Formats: sequence, structure tokens, C-alpha cells
Amino acid sequence: MERTWYWRLALVVAVALLSIYQLVPSWFYFRLPPGERNGPKYEESVPGWAPNPKKHLNLGLDLQGGILLAMGVDVDRAVKAKVARRADEIADFLKDKGVPVTASAPSEDGTKVEVRSPDPKRVERVVLDAYGAELSAPSGAPEGAVWFAFRPRVIQDFQAKAVEQAEKTIRNRVDKWGVSEPDIKRKANNQIQIQLPGFKDPEKAKELLGRTAQLEFKIADDESTVLDPVRSELAPCPSGPEGLQLPLPQNGCWLVESVELPSGTQRQVTYIAASKRQDLEAAIDKVLKPKISRDQEIGIGEVVVGQGPIKERFYRTYLLRAKTELTGDYISDARPSVDSSKGVGEPVVVFTMSPEGGRLMERLTTENLHRRMATVLDSKVETAPYIQGKISTNGQITLGSGRNYQEKFEEANEIALVLKAGALPAPVTIFEERTVGATLGPELIKSGAVAAVVGLAAVMVFMLLYYRGSGLIADVALVENGLLVLAIMSLLGSTLTLPGIAGFVLTLGMAVDANVLINERIREELRAGKTVRQAVDQGYDKVFWTIVDSHVTALVAGVVLMQYGSGPVRGFAVTLIIGLLASMFTSIVVTRVIVDWFTRRDTARLSV
Amino acid sequence: MQFKSFDIVPHGTSYDFVGKRRIAVTLSLIVNIAVILWALPQIHGLNFGVDFAGGTEMQVQFSKSVDPGEIRKSLEGLGFKDASVQVYGPESDHAYLIRVGRIALLTPEDVARVVAAVKAKFPVQGQPHFSPEVGDKIDFEFQTLPSPADLKVAVESAGVRVREIREEAGLTAGSRSLAVLTQGIQDRVENDLLSKFAEAKPQVLRVEYVGPAVGRELRNQGFKAILYAMAIIVLYVGVRFDFRFSPGVIIALLHDAIITLGYFAFSGREFNLTSVAVILTVVGYSVNDTVVVYDRIRENQGKLKGKRLGDIVNISINEVLGRTFLTSFATALSLVGLLIFGVGTIFDFAAAMAIGIVSGTYSTWFIAAPMTIWLEERAARRSAGGAKAA
Repeated sequence: MERTWYWRLALVVAVALLSIYQLVPSWFYFRLPPGERNGPKYEESVPGWAPNPKKHLNLGLDLQGGILLAMGVDVDRAVKAKVARRADEIADFLKDKGVPVTASAPSEDGTKVEVRSPDPKRVERVVLDAYGAELSAPSGAPEGAVWFAFRPRVIQDFQAKAVEQAEKTIRNRVDKWGVSEPDIKRKANNQIQIQLPGFKDPEKAKELLGRTAQLEFKIADDESTVLDPVRSELAPCPSGPEGLQLPLPQNGCWLVESVELPSGTQRQVTYIAASKRQDLEAAIDKVLKPKISRDQEIGIGEVVVGQGPIKERFYRTYLLRAKTELTGDYISDARPSVDSSKGVGEPVVVFTMSPEGGRLMERLTTENLHRRMATVLDSKVETAPYIQGKISTNGQITLGSGRNYQEKFEEANEIALVLKAGALPAPVTIFEERTVGATLGPELIKSGAVAAVVGLAAVMVFMLLYYRGSGLIADVALVENGLLVLAIMSLLGSTLTLPGIAGFVLTLGMAVDANVLINERIREELRAGKTVRQAVDQGYDKVFWTIVDSHVTALVAGVVLMQYGSGPVRGFAVTLIIGLLASMFTSIVVTRVIVDWFTRRDTARLSV
Repeated sequence: MQFKSFDIVPHGTSYDFVGKRRIAVTLSLIVNIAVILWALPQIHGLNFGVDFAGGTEMQVQFSKSVDPGEIRKSLEGLGFKDASVQVYGPESDHAYLIRVGRIALLTPEDVARVVAAVKAKFPVQGQPHFSPEVGDKIDFEFQTLPSPADLKVAVESAGVRVREIREEAGLTAGSRSLAVLTQGIQDRVENDLLSKFAEAKPQVLRVEYVGPAVGRELRNQGFKAILYAMAIIVLYVGVRFDFRFSPGVIIALLHDAIITLGYFAFSGREFNLTSVAVILTVVGYSVNDTVVVYDRIRENQGKLKGKRLGDIVNISINEVLGRTFLTSFATALSLVGLLIFGVGTIFDFAAAMAIGIVSGTYSTWFIAAPMTIWLEERAARRSAGGAKAA
């Protein structure tokens, strides 16, 4: 035999053995009764020599059920955000029209735009002329002001859009997270229902799906002195020889930090702190809120002190300019990374902005050079570093301190994922979490399994009867193909559903096609009077490209399908793609190795 | 040594595929147009499943354990299609989450009758609102509210039974509206379950309508996905072989996709996400036969110079007849189990797929290959015409 044959044989055997090895966890997984598969018993039952027990074949919602989460979208918050945006737009609009405006901001309850002006009547007329289709001017506004409220239909429409957007985002996150075949449905009452198959970690799911992921960049207002009087109202934070004495007083205390201003001078900036976030929020409302102007706002950040396993945390404030300079909407890509510029590796989130976002960021950072810029994620100031130079499309988010490396890296990963998948248009609350059973009854599952086995058997028997020896070889390749597909699926953590099983059977049918093409060609060559050796060589060589072509076209369909479908169809597409790739290998390489062995002598005979 | 083999399709056939092309094309055209017309919503339409049309979800609580299979059967007996019954929460709760495809509760005629009856009796303001996606609720706005009992009498005089009349804030300031909820899914399901599982005391805890608008988007995306896949495949075949193949490939792909769609259109079976998957797979698969034949035609065009193109095409199809038949046969064979034992979506998957595979082979033999002759002839005529003009 030629040298290459031994190499090919080694490859074929290695692939078969590795596939079987990779399927060991799945074997132990399916040996357990369905109720115990997703419990602690499973990982215990997998022997130590087996590969990572997490990589097992998973069954979809239709076959084994999973967890159900019902989430409510806080559309009122979304409406308030819209009102705030509209307030800014109205101010700009009136300025353009030359109408004098003192202020344009959301009213107390946040549902209306309140415009203050020396000439309220004119404001009302001008605004309603332009926005009359969307806005109305309800009565009851205070003296010297006009109220504008969105019409009910506009609100309803907007709320529906917010829920739709939330659903898309959640779908996107689940897909990016790699959970295959979720079931996501929008329901009445601004609710979204999500079912995740065979799920073991509902806490993680809630954290990931419930994150609003609203990323904002705001400039710290360090020049402002409005908070300095706080030093006479609150006590200074108690400090000992080793820094702050924790816990901090419940009603808050003040601290100063030395900040370098763009002008080059140093300034002692006042901020307040408390050990609990609620306490700090109460102190902000009581002490800080009355002091700040409309275009300022208070951001809250978390500080972790101490080394090693014993860590304590407290919360502190930042005085920020209220205007959101830039949001996460412009992020086109994000990934976790490790920043080792400070000597110790620190997990961070690295992001890339879209070209437009990059331009905005560049302008922002040039205009505010040497000021501090706060990165606010879901109303929490993660970091507020100085702008050292011009930043454009690439940036990074340093995570608040605390937690160990592993936890931080996981968080970086999570944040990157949600940033990429997009922010939710409004906060969501998870108010229901249940385990759910399979959507298909056991009788349907059983008939599906029987159907798959019968189909496979039919194909194998046909090959054996029709091509005899060569058919048997094709059947051996088919078995290896099946093992390989299942092994890859368990490695990728894809989910097996009933349509997926049908897809699996279909790909095995298609895999046989390649052998039909090869065998028919060999027959044709034999008929033309070639020797067995020549016929085999010619048969494989001549149909090689035909097989590649046919697989490529089917792969195109599979890839398009994967792009299109989320949920059950995606699972089918994944199975199809893996099956086609595996079939290229098994039907060409595996069968060839065996056929070459039997036809190694020129006098050999081949039953085909 | 003379090589002998048993062949399902004997080798050395010389069936005249090209000669039948006129009949085949006419036949295919008729069938294709029929499918498209039948699938149009104005004429008959497809029976869209829960994925696309939305559905209704119910939470039902029993006092003791009930076989979910029985619940499903009972629901399907009521005319709900594609019912799924899931255990909800811990097994000991005996709670089930039931999802069914939507069935038309109020037809537009019903609504028109109700509206006419109410308008005749009360001063209705504006246009009453009915959303077919909700299906069992009509909103009326009034200047002065009639009593709910009177309104109920008016609605029921139109032959529609009322479950509840609810007062809601009107859309325009100052007006009041009444929502008429007709006997809907909840009652139907509750009554049915009560009659069949009386001893288990079924209770319908909540009924909700799920996911309509995304369905419509999903549907459009699905059709787009099929077109994209076709475009890429045509491009690939063009680059790999010859762009002269493209028209034939496009026609064959469209033909097979439409025929597969025909299964869903004419059988009235549910058209859902899996159906889109089937059509896409058929598109990716059926082009293979076409490529095999085209490749042989090209090979033979070099080998058999001087022969008429029609003959070359016939020879080529016949040479690879066994192959094109057997590959399709083997793939179809894998579906046999699914056809015999599969139920619901899986049966439809297998049936539509099998039809697509058969259509793929047929279109290769009778449509795609003969297409080349047409195209070559046209090209020849055009260049002849061009030569004359010059």
C-alpha cells in the first residue's frame, strides 16, 4: 500500500474514535431518567476520563422542556424617555422659530413636556402647528408654562414598538449567547415570554436577559462648585489610619477628591458616599438634588476596598452634566479583553463604534480633553477616567473594582454580549420563572424516533442490496458520519429537536448520494472495460467536484436558513450544515480508504 | 471480464426527454400558476401556523393528574390545529400550558352584522374598532353610554353570543367606550375540557393571545431568505460552470420551490417555520441533479462536435439517468420512516421534502436541460438576425 493510505487510515480511525469519545458525556446524559438529567446527578455520573461533561447533546423544548421566563417591559419608562427627548427637540425647534423659551423639560410626573416661556400662548400655537398630529396641549399647566402631552394613539403605538424592540433585543441576546432553539413570544400587556430548553442556570439567564444594557457617556462637571456647601450639611466620612472606616453612616457623608481641571489647576471636588445604595439614593434626594441645576445630574458608582477575599464596598456620587453625549447605540462590536497596561491583567470590555459613533466620540473627546468622562452602564457609573487624548472608534470600559478575576472576566463577557446585542428600549422585570415540560407529548417523541430509525435502516438496506460490497462500505461510512455529526453537535452545544432529527436523517440520506454518484461512476468505468483499480481511481476523481458542488449548494441553503431562522429552524439549519460537512469527509475519504484496501491488487474484484 | 450489474435504471437508455419538452413545460406552467394563485390570500391562501399567524395560549389547572396527550386530542377535536400541551411548573401542580393555532372567531361578516345592529339602536361615535388579530373583541365608542345589558341584547340579536361587556376609557377625551367580548376561545376550551375531564375539575386560569406582528415580519423574511439562497446558488453555479446555465437553473429552482409550496397550499396543512426550512433545503438539494446533467452536457459538447444540441442534451440526460434517479431515490428513502411514523409537522416536513425531491428530478430532466436548447436557439436566431441586419 502507498504511504498516504496509512495516513488516511489513521485519520479515519482517529475521527471515529474521537467522535465516540466526545459522545461519552451524552451517553451518560441520556442514560439518566429525564427528570435527573439536568440535575447534579448527571455530572457526578460522568467518569473522570470523559471529556467536559457540559458538552453533551441537548434536547430542545419540544423534546424535554426547559425554563420559562415571563418578562414585563416597563413601557412607562420608555415613554418618559421619549418625553425627555421631545422636550429637547421642542426647545431647539422653538429657538429656530425665534420663540422665546426659558425652559423645556419633562413635567413633574414625566408624562408631559413643560415649556416655560414669557409668551406661553405663542409657544402653544407654534408647537401645535408643527406637532399637532402627535401632541396635544392639556389644561392644568402652571402659570407661565404650557404642557404638551402625546396623543393616546401615539403612546400606544410607541409602547407597542418598545415591546417589539425589546423582544428583538432579547432574541438577539439569546442567539448571541449560544442557547439554541429558544422560544420567544410576545404576549399582551407588554410582556415577553421566553422558553429556554433544558436549562440549568436560571439565575444567569435572568441576569443576562434582564440587563437593560443602556450605555451612556457623560462628562463629569468638576468645575461646578454647587456641591461644596454639602461639607457643612453632612458629616465628613470617618477615616482611620488605614483609610475609610466602613460601614459609612447611614445618612451619607462627604469626601473630596483632587481633580485636575483642563486649565491645569487642581480642585477639591466634593462627593458623598454611603454603604448602601438605597441610603445613598435617599441622601442624594435630600441633600444634593436641591442644589444642582437642570443640566446637571448625579451619577452613582460602586467602590470596593480591601485586598484579598475580604472586601467591602460602598457607593459614591459623581456630579455629571445631564446631557447624554453618546450612547451604546453606536457600538458595532464589543468583546471581553484583558488590559495589562497597569501591570496586573484587568478584564475589560473593548468596543468598536460605528463610523458615525466614532465621529461623535472624536468630537466629544476633543472638546473635553483632560476632563473626566463617566461611562454609565444601566445608571451605574462604571468608571470616570480622564480623557487623555482623542478617542474615536475604539474604546474600552474598565469595570468597577471588586470581585475576583474570574468573576470580572465573566462580567466583561456578559457586558460585551449585551452591548453587541443592543440595549433594551426600556427596563424589564422578570416576574415569573417556571420549569416547563416538553411541548410534544411522549407519544409524539417516540414516533419521531421510530421514524428516524426506520428511515436510516431503509437507506442502509438499500445501499447494501443494490451495491453489495460497495454498499456495505458506504454504510460503514454512514455510521461514522452519524457519529461525527452527533459529536460535533454535542461539542457546539446545539440542541436536538424533532425537526432537527428529521434534518439529521435527511443529511444521512444526502450523504449516501455522494456514494451513489461514486458507485455509479465506477460502474460506468467498469462497463467501459477499465480494470477495477482504474475504475475506482477514475470514479473517485471524476465525481469529486460534482460532490463538492452539490454540497456547496446545499450548504448555501443551510447558511441562509441559519441567518434567517431563530428557534427551531436554526437547529435544523445547524444540523444540516454539520451533516453536509461531515458527509464530504465520510463519503469521499472514509469510503476511499476501505475501497482502496480491497482493490489494492490489479486483479481485485469489487462488487459494486 | 464483462462487468455485470443489476441496475434499477438500465444503462444505455435513449429516452427522448427533449422531444417532450413542450408538453412538460406546459404542464409545469399550469401547475405552477395554479399553486401561486391558490396560495394568494385573495383566492385561498396558505394556512399559516402559530409561528406566522400567532396563536392563543391558555393556562389550565386540573385537580389531579391528566394525560397531556388526551388534552391535545380533545383540543384537536375542537378544531384547534397544532395544539401543544406543556406541563407547567412542578408536576404535582397538574397545571398545563396549552398553545393552539388561531381559529377565526369572528368573521368580517359577523363583525359587520354586529356593528349594523348596534348602530341601529344606539348613537355610536366614530368607527367601531375590531382587530382580527385579537379576534373576539369589538370596541364601540358612545357619546352617552347604553346599559351593558341593552348592548348585549343588541349584539346577540345579530347572532353573536356575548361573554362580557366591559367599560373602558375612550380614546378621545370625554367619550366612553364599551368593549364587547364575544364567546371566544376560553369558553369553548373550558366547556370542552369540563365535559371530558369533569372529575379532574379543569380551570382555565388565563388566556392570552401570542405573537402576531413578528409573525408577519418572519413570514416576509422567510420568503426573502428563499430568494437570497436561490440567488447565491445561481451565482455559484454560474461561476463554477457557465453563466449560460443560469436561466435554466433559476427556472428549475423556482419550479421546485413553487411545487413544494404547492404541497402546503393544496393540502391545507400548516405553513410554518419548518415549511420554510423544507423549501430552502429543496432549493439547495434539487439543483444538484441539474448541475450533474449540465456538467455532462458541457462535457459532451466538447466530445460530440457536429451533433445537434438537442441530441447532445438527450444523450447527456440518458447517460446520467441512473445517477440522477438513484441519488434522489436514496434521499427520498431516508424520508420513508418519517412519512410512515411521523405525525404533525414531521409528516409535513417529510411529505413536502419528498415532493420537492421528485420535482427536482423532474425539472432537471424535462425543464432545465431542454431550456438550454431554447436559449441556444434564441441566441442563434438573434445572431443570425443581427448578421442579416448588418
